[in-house]
Amino acid sequence: MIDVSYLSAAPEMMLVLGAVAVLMVDVFAKPPPRVHGWITAAAYLAAGASIVLQWQRLGAGGGGLSFGGALVLDPWAAAVRAVLLVVAVLGTLCAWEMLAGLGRRMAEGVSLVLVATAGFMLMGASVDLVMVFIALEIGSIALYVLAGIVRSSPAGDEAAMKYFLLGAFASAIFIYGGALAYAGTGATNLFDIERFLNDYLVARPAVILIGMALLVVGMGFKVTAAPFHSWAPDVYQGAPAGVVGFMAAAAKVGGFAALVHILFIGFARYQGAWSDGLAVIAALSVVLGTLLAIGQSDVRRMLAYSGVAHAGFLLTGMTAGAPAADGLLFYLATYSVMLVGAFAAVTAVSGPAGAGSSFDEYRGLGRRSPVAAAVLALTMIAMSGMPLTTGFIGKFQMFASAWDGGYEWLVIVGLAASVAAFFFYLRLVVLMYFRPGEENGRDPDAPLPLPVTIRWVLLFSAAVTLVFGIYPGPLLGLLTRV
Amino acid sequence: MVDYLWIVIALPLGAALFNHFLGRRVGEPRAAVPAILSVAGAFVYAALAARDFFVSERASEEAVTVVRLFDWIPGLGATAELLWDPMAAVMTLVVTGVGALIHIYAVGYMHGDPRFGRFFTYLNLFIASMLILVLANNFALLFVGWELVGLCSYLLISFWYTRPSAAAAGKKAFVVNRIGDFGFMVALMVIFAAFGTLSYTEVLHEPGEVIGAGAATAVCLLLLVGAAGKSAQLPLYVWLPDAMEGPTPVSALIHAATMVTAGVYMVARTGALFGLSDVAGGAAATVGALTALLAATIAVAQRDIKRVLAYSTISQLGYMFMAVGVAGYTAGLFHLVTHAVFKALLFLGAGSVIHAMAGEQNMDRMGGLRRKMPITHLTMLVATLSIAGIPPLAGFWSKDEILAVLFAKGGYYTVLWGAGLLTALLTAFYMARQYFLVFGGEARWGEGAEPHESPRIMTVPLLVLGVLTVLIGFVNTPFRLSFEHFLAPAFEGVGLLHAPEDGFLLTALALVSTAAGVVGIAIAYLVYHHASEDTRERLLGRVRRPLMTWEHGYWVDEVYGRLIVKPGLALANWSAGFVDQRVIDGLVNGIGGAVRRAGGRLRPLQSGFVRSYGALLALGAVALVAWIAARGL
Repeated sequence: MIDVSYLSAAPEMMLVLGAVAVLMVDVFAKPPPRVHGWITAAAYLAAGASIVLQWQRLGAGGGGLSFGGALVLDPWAAAVRAVLLVVAVLGTLCAWEMLAGLGRRMAEGVSLVLVATAGFMLMGASVDLVMVFIALEIGSIALYVLAGIVRSSPAGDEAAMKYFLLGAFASAIFIYGGALAYAGTGATNLFDIERFLNDYLVARPAVILIGMALLVVGMGFKVTAAPFHSWAPDVYQGAPAGVVGFMAAAAKVGGFAALVHILFIGFARYQGAWSDGLAVIAALSVVLGTLLAIGQSDVRRMLAYSGVAHAGFLLTGMTAGAPAADGLLFYLATYSVMLVGAFAAVTAVSGPAGAGSSFDEYRGLGRRSPVAAAVLALTMIAMSGMPLTTGFIGKFQMFASAWDGGYEWLVIVGLAASVAAFFFYLRLVVLMYFRPGEENGRDPDAPLPLPVTIRWVLLFSAAVTLVFGIYPGPLLGLLTRV
Repeated sequence: MVDYLWIVIALPLGAALFNHFLGRRVGEPRAAVPAILSVAGAFVYAALAARDFFVSERASEEAVTVVRLFDWIPGLGATAELLWDPMAAVMTLVVTGVGALIHIYAVGYMHGDPRFGRFFTYLNLFIASMLILVLANNFALLFVGWELVGLCSYLLISFWYTRPSAAAAGKKAFVVNRIGDFGFMVALMVIFAAFGTLSYTEVLHEPGEVIGAGAATAVCLLLLVGAAGKSAQLPLYVWLPDAMEGPTPVSALIHAATMVTAGVYMVARTGALFGLSDVAGGAAATVGALTALLAATIAVAQRDIKRVLAYSTISQLGYMFMAVGVAGYTAGLFHLVTHAVFKALLFLGAGSVIHAMAGEQNMDRMGGLRRKMPITHLTMLVATLSIAGIPPLAGFWSKDEILAVLFAKGGYYTVLWGAGLLTALLTAFYMARQYFLVFGGEARWGEGAEPHESPRIMTVPLLVLGVLTVLIGFVNTPFRLSFEHFLAPAFEGVGLLHAPEDGFLLTALALVSTAAGVVGIAIAYLVYHHASEDTRERLLGRVRRPLMTWEHGYWVDEVYGRLIVKPGLALANWSAGFVDQRVIDGLVNGIGGAVRRAGGRLRPLQSGFVRSYGALLALGAVALVAWIAARGL
């Protein structure tokens, strides 16, 4: 049974090796930023190659459990890794200016991004609650530090502190849930839990159910589902601009990846209970996220609340259980790309290490930086779920899953919220194009400098959002193999 | 070959994109090169792909190929699929073949226009859209093409948008087509509701097993509304005469040869549905007959050279509707093909005349152009004789087949045959009248006009079309029904109505319709060529009243204006003033305000204190645990 397949953890190993290499090279050579860039690129390439090998292994009928049943190599795990790799590459490009600006501490920042990516990738591959917890902590702790990595920024310190304290709280809840699940079933491995629940008629499932609920809370915190979302606006607002897109997208993908394994495998037997619970959280997230986003005067906080609503849409689809998995992955992949694209534009506006970005800064952006404004407008339109963007297709699949699963009321709530959401998404678009720039001293039409790394992220994000929005076939086809 | 059929659409689309971005930079004559080559390339590709259809041994099922491109919107069951069968091949070849000639012609016609590149962008976009329309294998994709050709038509009618009349004409075409599109959209919804799919393959395969005659009638009548809008039939034909405000190549390509035949194509394509409903078929034939006759009478009294041809197009489309209404699909499509050739020729000839007369379109100020423009004159003469139904030109064979099919149906349809015959006489008359007014007699143009033959880039397409007008009719004569056999696989399982096979009857019908054509020409000759100025004035004076009515098109525009547009505008103003500003805005502002207030209420949740966030998290966890535990126990 103890089978160690290094391939099933190869992408993470490559990333961690890259992180170690960056730190070591930094200690001994004190190289210029571009050397770190080369090492990081090599790590990403190696990780990508490992994912390709994993796909090939899966295609040949390989895969399965390894590392004593802690990790699984299945299409879901491989696909989640691929999505996270894209997010990490885009996130690194987006954060590059900020990282390079850290000077002597640059290596720290770069290695933290690599380690965080490895952690969240592991979350998607873990099928043991202990392993999920370890992966969660690897990813989360790296993110806590990244939030406060710019020492000169008090807002960043505050964000990091809040993220850490609340994250620790959520982790405690999660591990407590794991303990209760173990108490009830005698197993931490999700397949063992599944087997136990199938083989035995549990007379008093209260302990198991409470454990399951606490596990959901722990993951709900990571994916910013209401009411476990309160950290997100403050952290997104305070953390250095360059890294927020990565932070938001990676945590969401990792959290959902683990939640899918936990609920769809471990607690499949209790689907009746958890899908009702998810439906309530989903409705709450969609409604609260939308309502709170409307009142914001800061783009990052607005995006944080919109992220709460999007977590709600994803949970809406999850209520249908396993059949929704491929739709979930499409949504996660496309939403992450939109999110990183939107935050790339935010980075361009508020500077690589800046905190906060009030709506006023976006007035007249259409003239100051046509590219950034156009991509930001496109991502807003896509997030609102307009047809011919990936946002529409993702949302459509979520609603279709929930409808088929019998949660018609949830779909209606989601549709109503989607309509209300146009208000704040389009408000930003109107500001950028139809309101003149502010006149406090500086030239309202001064062109905004757009670093080449940001430009690439913007263009890639726009291309993905549009191309797969009009022609989703290939991406859907790739992801439905999950 | 067939697997890569999308190339046919991609070529003109690519050229359109090229000219959109680079058209201005590459300059006047060169912008047309990719435009022409792409359409000609699409024609060649389609011809090669259609090669298999000519091999008669192939089993008929094999002649229908579905090319699956990609899953478009899987949740809605809409797939991007192309259908390649003989009917699609015929339409593709007409669109790209005639289209290529008109593109070449347009190089001369649009010479010197500041938006030369933009013109070809739109023209190519139109070709690509029309090909999507004819190659679609489901109603969703058909609708995409349908709307895109409408958009291109609108853009091209108002191409010279600085003229108020052109802008107004574009708007009119747009609005009238929306009425038709509404019917079409409702039809699509009904089809989707009844069949659960929009794919031709499933809907048109023995639809009688899924829907009854009543539902089929409803669907077909709704489709007919859409077809009447696009193909300018009663009562939605009013936009087409005004559409002549567009450049003449546009009139030839879109408003004569291709787009306006989309309705005919659609009815023929959905023949399996129309076969279920005698009512809908009868309605189509009746609308067609009425339109044909009405438009022919209006054409008799027009003075503008292009408006004569516009009403003539409406009238000829009426013929096609008569044919498809009685399930004479091959007859209808045959006339569609021949009409595309000779009407494109007539429009291009008219364009050549207008070009020569420096923009003059009034036939009263033409005359005697025979010697000044020999090539235009010769080709126009051939086309005029063709549309008048003089054997052995193309128009004779196709019109004759339609009349024969109607006669074969018998009963009520004999009346429609009579209308068709009368229309044939009128057609010959007004076309001959146009010929004599433009080319015959003495010059009536004013001082300073110097008519001249058009440049070769315009006359060569005229000559090609002229040759085709002579030859193309022979693809389907009663002696050899090649076209009908060619199309047969596309109408597998559809009850086709054929022309009678009785040789005596056929000959008699042909003689009668030829006689109608000859009589029409003779009257026009006597009135407009032979008679002296005074005699003509006296003769026309006697029928002044009907002529006046016809010249104004039965005052239909005025009636529509009084009955529909004016009350419509009043309603619109009321809605804008009262309903929108007070009711809707009030509601929206109210809801928006309520939402904002709700958002404001919720803001205290976000105090910024870690302890309150932690409390919220803990409370949420407790609530969720309680909820799940309560549900699960």
